[in-house]
Amino acid sequence: MDLDSLKQTIIDIESRAISNFDTVNSKSELDDSYRSFLGKKGEVNLLLKSLGSLPQEKRKEAGKILNQLKSALESGYAKKTISISDQNKQEKLNQQKIDITLDGFEDLKGSVHPVTQTINDICDFFERMGFDIESGPEAEIDYYNFEALNVPDDHPAKDMHDTFYLNNKGLLRTHTSPVQIRTMEKAKAPHRIICPGKVYRKDSDLTHTPMFHQIEGLVVEEGASFSQLKGLLNDFLEDFFGEEVELRFRPSYFPFTEPSAEADIRWKKNWLEVLGCGMVHPNVLKGVGVDTKKYSGFAFGLGVERMAMLKYDIPDLRAFFDNDIRFLNQF
Amino acid sequence: MQFSKNWLKEFIDIDLSTQEICHQLTMAGLEVDGYEDIKSKITGNDSIIKLDITPNRGDCFSVLGVARELAVINNLKFSLPKINKISESFKDDINLKVCKDGPIYFGRTINNISLKSKTLPLIAERLKLSDQKLIDPVVDITNYILLELGQPLHAFDRQKLNGDISVRLAKEKEKLILLDDQELELDPSCLVISDEKEAVAFAGIMGGKASSVTDKTNSIFLESAFFKPSIIRGKARKFGFQTDASIRFERGVDYEIQELAINRASSLLNSTVGGEFGNTISKTIKNQLPKHKNIEINLNRANQILGTTIPKKDALRFFKGLGLSPQSQSENIVVTSPSWRYDVEIEADLIEELARLEGYDSLPQVSLSPVYKKGKLKPESLISDKLVSKGFNEIITYSFISEEDNEIFGQEPNTLKVENPISQNMAFMRTNLISGLVNTCSYNLNHGQENQRLFEIGNTFHLRNNKKVIETKVVAGLMTGNLALDNWNKKSDEVSFYDLKGVLTDLTSLFDDTYSLEDSTKAFLHPGISASISYKNKEVGYIGTLHPSCLENLGLKKNIFIFSLEIDSLKIKANSKFKDFSKFPSTSRDLAFLFDRNIDAESIQTTVKQSAGKFFKEISIFDIYEGEGIDPNKKSVALSVSWQAMKQTLLDSDIDGAVDKIIKSVKKDLNGELRV
Repeated sequence: MDLDSLKQTIIDIESRAISNFDTVNSKSELDDSYRSFLGKKGEVNLLLKSLGSLPQEKRKEAGKILNQLKSALESGYAKKTISISDQNKQEKLNQQKIDITLDGFEDLKGSVHPVTQTINDICDFFERMGFDIESGPEAEIDYYNFEALNVPDDHPAKDMHDTFYLNNKGLLRTHTSPVQIRTMEKAKAPHRIICPGKVYRKDSDLTHTPMFHQIEGLVVEEGASFSQLKGLLNDFLEDFFGEEVELRFRPSYFPFTEPSAEADIRWKKNWLEVLGCGMVHPNVLKGVGVDTKKYSGFAFGLGVERMAMLKYDIPDLRAFFDNDIRFLNQF
Repeated sequence: MQFSKNWLKEFIDIDLSTQEICHQLTMAGLEVDGYEDIKSKITGNDSIIKLDITPNRGDCFSVLGVARELAVINNLKFSLPKINKISESFKDDINLKVCKDGPIYFGRTINNISLKSKTLPLIAERLKLSDQKLIDPVVDITNYILLELGQPLHAFDRQKLNGDISVRLAKEKEKLILLDDQELELDPSCLVISDEKEAVAFAGIMGGKASSVTDKTNSIFLESAFFKPSIIRGKARKFGFQTDASIRFERGVDYEIQELAINRASSLLNSTVGGEFGNTISKTIKNQLPKHKNIEINLNRANQILGTTIPKKDALRFFKGLGLSPQSQSENIVVTSPSWRYDVEIEADLIEELARLEGYDSLPQVSLSPVYKKGKLKPESLISDKLVSKGFNEIITYSFISEEDNEIFGQEPNTLKVENPISQNMAFMRTNLISGLVNTCSYNLNHGQENQRLFEIGNTFHLRNNKKVIETKVVAGLMTGNLALDNWNKKSDEVSFYDLKGVLTDLTSLFDDTYSLEDSTKAFLHPGISASISYKNKEVGYIGTLHPSCLENLGLKKNIFIFSLEIDSLKIKANSKFKDFSKFPSTSRDLAFLFDRNIDAESIQTTVKQSAGKFFKEISIFDIYEGEGIDPNKKSVALSVSWQAMKQTLLDSDIDGAVDKIIKSVKKDLNGELRV
């Protein structure tokens, strides 16, 4: 064998080996193929043994090109090994494919009652305006529910409230306004308070429940004016509904405010009453010792269920107290 | 009150659409409930206007009052209807006596009337449009005057009256049968019209049966009187009925209109039932009449409160139109309250009048400036967030419950009750929140909701010494059904006591200190599966499963687990402070012991903790076994105890001593035998 024919044989082995590695599909086939070229009895080893027949001066070069062949085949083998292993992994992953359209496992869903959410939303606005949240008892006495609010005994205004009376000579508060009085008795002016809570009236039909929720607001400050009341309520309603609302004020009557007003919003073309308000009646302020020369005040009250019905598009008031889980889970 | 729009034309020459009139009235504080356009053969193109009148505006309970408002708003001339004076054909021999509660009385006898004649078509039509039933020409005319002028009138059968007429307080237990046949037992808080024999009418409220006009009547005695609001008020509630007359008198009738009203009625009666008219007799106690009040308004102050700049000349014009006779006095205006406005008493009332006529909508509007306030912890929100994150739905139920529920769940001897409940099912104020939760659970079970987690936060009411009410804010929760929703992969386990206890532990991580459980004595809870919850030895709630007989009563099949906690007794934990933890590995050992069955987990944990040495970290019970292979009075409890040091890795030699101590203590204190 001379060097030239050796080179020719090497080229031949290399091309056969590479194409052989290419065509195999499994690791065992690849290993067989590897052995047939690079194993103890493989073609490369046989060729190595035949180097002895070359003249001494050619052996060095022959050894060099033979080593090149060896490393070319080793690297071809290594590449193919990785490629087969990648392919195997891929196949394995493909077999693990699941039906992603099956339902996920859900936990039981909790919810905050829409009335509570509405109260939280409303209080949040007023807290940002610097109002303190106050509360008072639901089982009240006549003094706080009526007398201190300028509603004398037997006055026709009392008939506006169908009152539940209790066996301890007390009553269930008919509005959250008693909290105004209790707060002003406790602390000195100025005041900015907001009082959410349950109220009770003897009334039960499609649009009335004997218990419902009100939020009362009170501002007593130097220079508190009707125009601030209008501005505040306008800002509040815009904040609550998240959009501009058309609002109108018209005169009304509450014994504890003078002037008194009712505020309507434009809702689906009609005017809808949403809250009552007014400048705090001087008799009320004087009754709790507020200096009416220095301070004036305004107050407002609104029904929480009404606001929630508007905001969440709830058609039936009574749904709030049925507590059907299918209803609650929507909020 | 409802009335025909064209009736207004008796007082004002108004030429506005009904829609415009209604808008004006609503914006002036006389809320229009609705209106209906009609075509009438008698009144022509007309409308029915329905008003919702607030208690302060008694003066607008008449067409006259509404017309007067419209006149001011539109700057129209206002005039009273023309009245033909009826000449008298005889002198009445009745003497009148009035009193301080009924200080004005006008009366007139009309003989030989013809009740067969028909009510004038215009009167009949207007009454019909006011939804007023037609009775007979005399009663129809008194109703007509009431609606038109706001003055209630009454007609007696003259022949059934005995002698002189007086307005007086009723005697104790004085009986009177009214027109509508109800028999009242009066007392001296009631005012009556009386003849020499007996009470003949409940003054200002309703006439008596005995002296009423019937189809046989041919002589009447007409009454136009003024009774003070204070004597009429409260009678509606006392006797349980209202009349068109009492509604007006209790709000205040114009005390200068009685003569006009009787003259107007006479004129209409003359042209309907005819007859011979006696002279108009009257009696008045002048110093008992309401007073015209002089009220001063400072226009600067008024403008400041309204945020307006109403000039003096406008204010004067408004007040004049309202009949307040304003006088300008340098900075101020002094007005005199008219006889029909009981609601004009102080400066604030005049400020409202200014605002009303200026138009509430055109008053300026400015935003209120925010003021910084320190934020506060809201325990209810924190509790609610915690429970909602655990899958609980918040519910809100009525604070009043049924007697039956109170018996099952209330268990307080003297409870707060509603004296006048909507129904007997709502007569007891709740002393806890359990009945609301259980009833809601039952409602939802009936609607196919098997897995429920509910909670409510609300006040409970406790009566002390039959007088004082203690209101306690409580959070209570309920669990029933499965732990999770079943799915295509697995069926979920049923909820157990320990699931709810886990929720409680998580919930109470919000508070300072930890709770302890003791045996509960609540009758509606299962005696073996319930506990009271205490903080610092104060009982603040309970947890457990509903008593089986309670479930049976309610027709419930699945176990219901509930808890209740008084919120105000608990202190929300202040900001958490970081606690360092060890960076060295922890070591644990599993140990199993045989205990008597009555040894509880808490005792085992305490004993182990106390004997496990200074590197003790935690203990958990990971298995409990009773049954085959074990003495029937014993149970096997498997514990995992772990140790960890802050500054070193622990060696077996550090642990072995601790384990020996544990085994000895468990044997000594609890008679527990190590299982090998």
